[in-house]
This record gives sequence, structure tokens and C-alpha cells, in this order.
Amino acid sequence: MSSIFVNSKNVFLDIVNANDYVQLDRVSTIYQSLKDSIKKPLKMILLYGKPGTGKSMFLTKLHKDLSSSQEVYLYQTPILDESEFYKTLAQDIFKIKYAGELNFTQFMKIAKEQKNENVPVVLLDEAQLYSEALMEKIRLLSDTRSVKFVITLHKTEKEDLIAKEHFQTRIWESIELENASSTELKIYIQKKLMKANCFDSANMFTPSAVNRIHKITNGNYRDSNKLLYTLFDLYAIYEQNSQLSKIKTNHISNKLIEMSAIHTGLIHA
Amino acid sequence: MLNIIELEQRWLRYKIKSFIPHIVIVISLLIITLVLLSLSSSTTDNKQEIVEPTITPSNKEVIKKEPIEKIVPVKKTVSEETIVVIPVEAVPQKKQAIQKESQKVKLSPSLDFMRKMQNSVQPFYNNTTPSDNYETDVPRSTKKINTRQAKVLETQAVESTPKQSEKRIQIKRQNTQNDIYDIIKRFKKNNNPALSLFVAKKYYELGNYRQAYNYALMTNKLNNEIESSWIIFSKSLVKLGKKDKAIKTLKKYIKHSHSTTAEILLDEIQSGKFR
Repeated sequence: MSSIFVNSKNVFLDIVNANDYVQLDRVSTIYQSLKDSIKKPLKMILLYGKPGTGKSMFLTKLHKDLSSSQEVYLYQTPILDESEFYKTLAQDIFKIKYAGELNFTQFMKIAKEQKNENVPVVLLDEAQLYSEALMEKIRLLSDTRSVKFVITLHKTEKEDLIAKEHFQTRIWESIELENASSTELKIYIQKKLMKANCFDSANMFTPSAVNRIHKITNGNYRDSNKLLYTLFDLYAIYEQNSQLSKIKTNHISNKLIEMSAIHTGLIHA
Repeated sequence: MLNIIELEQRWLRYKIKSFIPHIVIVISLLIITLVLLSLSSSTTDNKQEIVEPTITPSNKEVIKKEPIEKIVPVKKTVSEETIVVIPVEAVPQKKQAIQKESQKVKLSPSLDFMRKMQNSVQPFYNNTTPSDNYETDVPRSTKKINTRQAKVLETQAVESTPKQSEKRIQIKRQNTQNDIYDIIKRFKKNNNPALSLFVAKKYYELGNYRQAYNYALMTNKLNNEIESSWIIFSKSLVKLGKKDKAIKTLKKYIKHSHSTTAEILLDEIQSGKFR
């Protein structure tokens, strides 16, 4: 028997799945502009933001939406070996299998030979993990206009990646993703729960409870998911131990929010 | 599965930790206000002690020989008295209790003080209603009990005239005391001789002659034309056992003002009728 709390808990499993994508006003505007940018003859599109702001979700959603209309390839985990990277691209995009090593020059040659009307789009997640040299080569590849790249980057405080030279000059479009506001977070939580038919638990989120969560997670989607997962886990355990009477169930208990935050390390107790 | 008990304990610790700064702030604010309050009250006390009358030709001599005693706020006596009264009611057999009762009787109020007060200080009484002031004064009077308790008791012992032997306990007299204190407070604010004269009269009625003397002196200092102030002044001197000074003062005053009331009093004092 799965209770309402167990169902609600599973909604917040931190899995990148395009079907779980939640439409929020601001995010959908950004998404639309990203889709428009892809139609333009751009060489590269940069998607950046702090970890947990939904970049991966964005790419997944984009991949899902575009795959029906055009050639699009998503690499969620970076291929760090250079030769491996070229080989994978050659195989996926140009359907050319290479048994031995494939270097940049060879790959460029192949790329230039390909004259597709529809330029294939390559989506690279976690691009901050690629070496600077490889990034430079990716940018050279995009200059051939035979491949279009959409890359996502963590925006770290130490180094502002956009400030790097190759991004400044080559990128035509850069889109920043930000943390959710309190209202957006509320819509996000409720939409997510309602998608899974958890209407009762969606109704438990009062503005003050959402504000508290927002205060703890700063509106970061990943942190919020983590927190909410633990929160409903706690509810499920209380329910299992028949201790639900100890806590409020008509709205989300602040105590449980804080307990979840302590457990997930968002609050240092 | 999560360890709920451990998590609840951690949450409790977190809650306590997060409340500590608030508690610290509240406590420190309390301490600051208390310190400020005590500072402000001590400064007002000092002001009271500094009061020294200017010497007019008529009362110069008296002042030289008789330096003014510190003015002890009446409320202290009041609180002391109330504390004493309760055991008297509870254990009436004890000898001590009887003694204290007599002390208390001395302070017993004239319930018509309101009327008298209105008669004597009507023009200055319009600013505040007495009932308002009772409310604000009550907590302060209880606060200061300890500071000069000893001194109050001492003077009380000297002044007490255990002639009266009323046995009924009248608790309402505290209102009179509060009332005097209220008038003193107002007097400190506006230095109105009518108020100090009223206080002097009240003290005289209550048998606190030293205070009556002090306030009459202050009244004379502010306005040396008030006849009843000189009368109270002289009467208090007599009651304090300084008959000669009282006669001297009265004579000087009569010379200055030709007051018949003063003359009558002088006669009474000299003939021994007034003691």
C-alpha cells in the first residue's frame, strides 16, 4: 500500500526526466527564446547558471522537443577523452565508425565534407568539465557550421566562464538560468505534485511553508527537490509509526521542514 | 529509513541554538533598560537632595543653625508601613504588633484629603487628574523600598507620637501617601509653592514634622509672603522641639507682615498652649 506521502516523496526524486518538466512563466519564456535561438544560424549557445537551477532539465526537455523535428544529440555526461569525443560525434552525427584513433584534424575534415541542410544540434551538459583545449576545438568545430552546439556550464564564483575569451567572441547567445523565486517555487512544487495526482499534499503547501523552504534552499531546484523528498519521507515514516497525530497534516509542518533541512545538510544543526 | 528520534533531537538542538541570540538580545535589552531606569531615578534623588533654600532676611538665622535634612520620599515610608500592617492584622496578640499599629495609626489618612487638596491647590490642580497618577505611581513606590529603609525607620522612631491608640486598621491611608508623593512629583516639575505648601500641611497632619518643616521652608523660599506656610514652618519647629527658633521666626515674620494669625500662634506658643 503506498500512501499519499510515499507518492509525493517519489515526485521529488532527483531524476532528470523531460516528462517531469514543470512549466513556469519565466522559465518557459527562456525556453522559448532558446528554441528560437536554435533556429537562428548560431554557432554556439551557452546555457549557464548555478548548480541545480535546471540546466540539465532544460537540455533534456530541448532534446525531447527537438528530436521529432531535427537531428539533435544529447550528451549528459561529458566525454573527456578527446579522441573518444570525436569518435562518438562522428559515429552519432555522420554515421562514420572509426576503429582507431581519431584526431581533431581528421574530424574537421569529415565535418567539412558533410553538407547537411539541417545542421545537427549537439547538446553538451556539464561542459565545465571539458578541458580548455577541447573547448577551443569545439568552438572551431562550430565555426565550420556543420555542427551547432548548445552547452551548459556551471556558473562558479571563482571563474566567470563567460569572461573567457573563446566564449566572449564565439558565442552568439548566452542564456542564464536562475534560482526560483518564492512564488515560482510554490507553483513548481504544486504543479509537480498535481502532475502525480497528489492533490492533498499539494494543498498542504501554504505560502509561509513555501517561504520557509525558499529561505532554506534559496529557490534552488535541486536542493528543493532534495528537501521535499526528505520531507515526505519523514511524513511517510511518521505515518508508518502511527505518529501523524503528533504533527500537523493540514499544512506542512515547519518542524518537519527544518528536520528535513537538517538531514539534507541545508541547515547546520 | 531515517532515524526520526535522532533527527528530532538534532532539530531540538537546532531550535534551542537558534533561540539563543533572541534570548540574549531580550536579556541585554532588559538589563539596559533596568540600568537606565535606576540611573534616571538616582539622578532625580540627587536633585532632591541638592534643594537648598535661598536665604531671605526673615528666615536666614533659622536656616544657618538648622541645616535641612535630606528629603526622604514619603512613598518609602508608605511601603514600609504596608508591609508592617499585614502581620499586625494576622497576629494581634504580639506586643510588637501593637507598637507598629500605633505607628500606622499616625499615618492614617484623612479621607477627605481630596476635598482639602482641591481647596488648597485648586488653581494648580487642573493639569492631571489624581486617579491617573495613582496608577502610574504604585509600581515605583514598591520599587524603592530598600534604599533608605533604615533611615526612614530611624526618623520615624524619633517622630512617632504614640499618644493615639486607635485600634482599627485603615489600609486606605496608602492613597494619601501616594497622593502626597504625586504632589511632590508635580512640585518638582513646576516648583509651585502652593503644591509644596500642600505637602507641608499634609506632612504636618500626618505627624511627619521634619518633612513638614522642609516643605514649608521650600515654600518660603519660593514665596515668603504665604502666611500659612510660615505658620506650618513655626508649628513644625515647635513640634521638633525648637520652640525658641519658632518664636524667633514668627516674630520676624510678624514684623514683616503684621499677620494676626501669626500673632495668635506666637501667643499660643509663648503661653505654652501650643506644644
